[in-house]
Amino acid sequence: MKTNDVILQTTTKLVFFIIFLFSIHIFFAGHYTPGGGFVGGLLTTGAIILLLLAFDLKTVQKALPFNFTIMTGIGLLLALGTASGSIFFNVPFFTHAFDDFTLPLFGVTSLHTAMIFDAGVFLVVVGSAITIIQSIGGDS
Amino acid sequence: MAFQILLNFFIAVVWMFMNSSLTASTFIVGYLIGLIMIIITRRFFKSRLYVWRLWAMIKLILLFAKELTLSNISVLLLIIRPKLNIQPSIFALPTELKEDWEITLLSSLITLTPGTIVLHVSSDQRMLYIHAIDVDDVDEAIDSIKNSFEKAILEVSRG
Repeated sequence: MKTNDVILQTTTKLVFFIIFLFSIHIFFAGHYTPGGGFVGGLLTTGAIILLLLAFDLKTVQKALPFNFTIMTGIGLLLALGTASGSIFFNVPFFTHAFDDFTLPLFGVTSLHTAMIFDAGVFLVVVGSAITIIQSIGGDS
Repeated sequence: MAFQILLNFFIAVVWMFMNSSLTASTFIVGYLIGLIMIIITRRFFKSRLYVWRLWAMIKLILLFAKELTLSNISVLLLIIRPKLNIQPSIFALPTELKEDWEITLLSSLITLTPGTIVLHVSSDQRMLYIHAIDVDDVDEAIDSIKNSFEKAILEVSRG
């Protein structure tokens, strides 16, 4: 008995983008307000899990053709690279650099290397969580 | 509809460049001029003027607000009634809507108005199965949904 999931799927197509946008907002808000890489990563994971619930595993793998194991590795490399960049400047390990830059469209923005580290955390969280879900849910 | 909105934006942007002032007020003026031009040349387009569809959307929102208020009041009257003599029933509603989003919108509107819940959509998307809390006459309930929500949604999606 195959039920008709048209309402769930149509709503998911809309809600996925709202959750994804909110996760990006939380990720960038992490420096001055609550949020950051870990929470943003979990929110993105939640959006992908919603897709997995509404559609099936194969469809989502076709729609998002990322290798999530490699994504975890890239995230770890980003975090480690940000931390070890301080070696070349004769400062203690994990020292972050930051400065104010004037960007077009954004005005004066404070760019901080901690954000790159956060992006690494984001990728690790998304990659590992989705890898866990796919390993448990697959091959049924 | 999408093409007309795009054309209207394009006219507004061209107007902004002609006046060499890239501000919001110039954009709004250009948009209004583009709207008047599109209304004058409306015979050339395949679909209706997109203003009508916007108007149909606003009408649908107002209709939903009205139905929500009325049905909330009727369910409240059911609750405070001392004797519970209601006729719950499940009936099938044949629908003419085709697109996924139309079916979803109709089901959401039916579910959000108290007293009726969509239980199931048939696999060929021709039937909605609805549970209603108090139905004296099934045909009358079907007709009321068909004449209010379905007609309004069809009005929005008509090209």
